[in-house]
Amino acid sequence: MTNRRTVLRGLAAAGGLLAAPAVLADGHGKPRVVVIGGGSGGATAARYLAKDSGGALDVTLVEPSRTYFTCYFSNLYLGGFQDMKDLGHTYGTLAGAHGVNVVHDWAVDVDRDAKTVALAGGAVLPYDKLILSPGIDFVDGAVPGWDVSKQNKMPHAYKAGSQTELLKAQLEAMPEGGTFAMVAPPNPYRCPPGPYERVSMVAHMLKARNPTAKILIVDPKEKFSKQGLFEEGWQAHYAGMIDRIGPDFGGDAVSVDPEAMTVDIDGSVEQVDVCNVIPAMKAGRIADMAGVTDGRWAPVNAADMSSKVDADVYVLGDAAQQGDMPKSGFSANSQAKVCANAVRGALTGSRVFPARFSNTCWSLISTEDGVKVGATYEATPEKIAKVDGFISQTGEDSALRKATYEESLGWYAGIVSDMFGV
Amino acid sequence: MIRRVLGFSPVVAAGLVSVAAAEGDVAYGEYLASECTTCHLLGATEATGGVPLITGWDAETFVLILKDFKTGVRDNAAMELVTARLGEEEMAALAAYFAQAE
Repeated sequence: MTNRRTVLRGLAAAGGLLAAPAVLADGHGKPRVVVIGGGSGGATAARYLAKDSGGALDVTLVEPSRTYFTCYFSNLYLGGFQDMKDLGHTYGTLAGAHGVNVVHDWAVDVDRDAKTVALAGGAVLPYDKLILSPGIDFVDGAVPGWDVSKQNKMPHAYKAGSQTELLKAQLEAMPEGGTFAMVAPPNPYRCPPGPYERVSMVAHMLKARNPTAKILIVDPKEKFSKQGLFEEGWQAHYAGMIDRIGPDFGGDAVSVDPEAMTVDIDGSVEQVDVCNVIPAMKAGRIADMAGVTDGRWAPVNAADMSSKVDADVYVLGDAAQQGDMPKSGFSANSQAKVCANAVRGALTGSRVFPARFSNTCWSLISTEDGVKVGATYEATPEKIAKVDGFISQTGEDSALRKATYEESLGWYAGIVSDMFGV
Repeated sequence: MIRRVLGFSPVVAAGLVSVAAAEGDVAYGEYLASECTTCHLLGATEATGGVPLITGWDAETFVLILKDFKTGVRDNAAMELVTARLGEEEMAALAAYFAQAE
């Protein structure tokens, strides 16, 4: 490591714009990039690095799942608007068409001095650049009474797949007039409108199957994303069905008993039939193990998503503490493309363009009643900073809401193609 | 850090880009296009949902449509936002890239 940096400083001194590969073979062939996590950040980064480098980089993607289920649109599955099979995506095109070395294993350690990643299966992967895109894990003890061993009684359904299917099965089996409770997470968390889109989709499903059922949201936050839009939609479509208890009434002092199926809200015990516990979140654990976190998240430089503590390690998506962007799949995908451009430039001398980021989050409130919020962002020395933004308005006509929903269908097809290849 | 090592500051990169801007810098366009391809499909023969395909258009039409969004002649919150920060050079680069993209 020291040797290569010394060489690089020499190269920079000799002429910073040399287009020669910056990392020359020092005992190995092509420069090696290891990407941990095959979601919106990691799959996108791996694909762009492999595709754009034309074989000049050795790109390895470490992802335990053979089929990745997107968290986005999993609420639409709960509402009956999507099939689970259409939310699952595989890595064959990344491997076959783009030449990414897809390794289905768990990364269990990162040695930043040796520049290696250890896998659960025993392999050790050396890297020149490491990209971490591990998504989220839950904070231990965030909701007293709940831990992962209780997730079959009270699903989180915030990493999509079997948990989402379990939650849907429980909702479908709920007794007539029963209560669905959601314990909403504190900020910051993955997909700010996600819990409230979920409430909308559950309400849509229950309105048809179980119209006397009730929905109780227990929320530690004063306010939430797209609140005016959701509350308007809930009144219009699901009047009398949804109650939300905010922090003023104990929404920030919640514990659960998964065996008894009770929720204790600041001393007041509610019996519920289905309970969705979405605990406080933190960066996926491998970020901690790599030693790049500060508290719950991994601080990064906005210009290229490099870690604040290691210029050869990058952190994308939900795990990154980057500034103003919400934690979303769209954000992770956007950050991945800036990062891939910078990493490729550093390793091959290709052109590096200024960072630019964007995000849009669509939510479905009821049939063809879609809303969206979006913003553009730029890199400043301190953080990723918001430039400009928009949000759907209350009182919009049904044609615009339908167009917004149809736009979300197009976006879904676009982003999964951008991540997994075509 | 990386850019300092390589001497590739954003200012230098932008300078390189402007040289080739008049005819539409395809490489810069390809980078900028990654903002578009989160929603607009590449490699498809028909659109999905409400997001049109934007590949294979002639460059002049492409720029005119971007300008229509930028000035609000065409109405879409996401496109108005994206085009708000596209200058002539960025529009030309995007048009040059998408004209030859499939």
